[in-house]
Amino acid sequence: MKAEYVNSFYKATQDVFNLMLDLDVERGNIKVVEGLVSSRNANVVLGVTGDLKGSILFSFTKDMTLEMVRIMSGLEMKTIDNFVSSALGEVANIIGGNALTNLTCYNYICDLVPPQVIIGEYKSLSMANKKALLIPLRTDIGEFDINIFIAENE
Amino acid sequence: MMWKERYRIGVDLIDNQHKELFNRLSNFIQIVQNDTHWEDKMDDVKKTLDFMKEYVVYHFNDEERYQEEISYPELEEHREVHANFREAINEYVRTFEEGQFNEKKIKEFAAKLMTWLIVHVCKMDQKIGEYAREKGGKV
Repeated sequence: MKAEYVNSFYKATQDVFNLMLDLDVERGNIKVVEGLVSSRNANVVLGVTGDLKGSILFSFTKDMTLEMVRIMSGLEMKTIDNFVSSALGEVANIIGGNALTNLTCYNYICDLVPPQVIIGEYKSLSMANKKALLIPLRTDIGEFDINIFIAENE
Repeated sequence: MMWKERYRIGVDLIDNQHKELFNRLSNFIQIVQNDTHWEDKMDDVKKTLDFMKEYVVYHFNDEERYQEEISYPELEEHREVHANFREAINEYVRTFEEGQFNEKKIKEFAAKLMTWLIVHVCKMDQKIGEYAREKGGKV
């Protein structure tokens, strides 16, 4: 897995969190994992097609998700309903869009498949024995992860 | 409060309209999100939706006119983004008019409107303010 992929998604996440939520994002140590797995409550999967192919998984806790939507809307949110999950999906989608723009600097031209929001644990293990990368991220309102599982399209 | 001072671009006409837009959107989200039974708030939702639809178009027109007045170099790009957004709103409205006016879809619409407006105002619209300031505030 190339550093360009990680940097593109990390930078896009920092930019979008800063822009939309006025929050800084710090990166922890990257781990190699067996596939897209999340034990957190609110997950968004983005498909990537084109020069690169695969999936990106964003995993948030319920509390962090509700707080993100509170910051944007100015309103207290009690549960992850369709308003909250749609907003979360859009934030991930915007990050994905920015990441793909960043990837064009490395000559990768890709498209995004619309986000799929999954409430509850998520598990999609690699069948081809390929590894995914997990980027742990920290903000003032909580921690979240991005799993990157993409490779050059052959 | 949905409106935040950091959304300000420094052009009163546009800032005031943005404030109004965010206030109305906040009102819309509150109606959509309150615990009242869906059927009982349907009229309120429809009324706010109609207003939002009209106000977004009105605001886009004013914003584009302002960009013309100051000879903003990225007007065409901005116009295109507005046009795409107008089309996205119209598509939702068409879906609602075709009878798929359900709670799930309305919540999705409100969330998209919110995220899109925040990104647009924080990113593209800020550039209008920067340009106007570079020109010494003269239009």
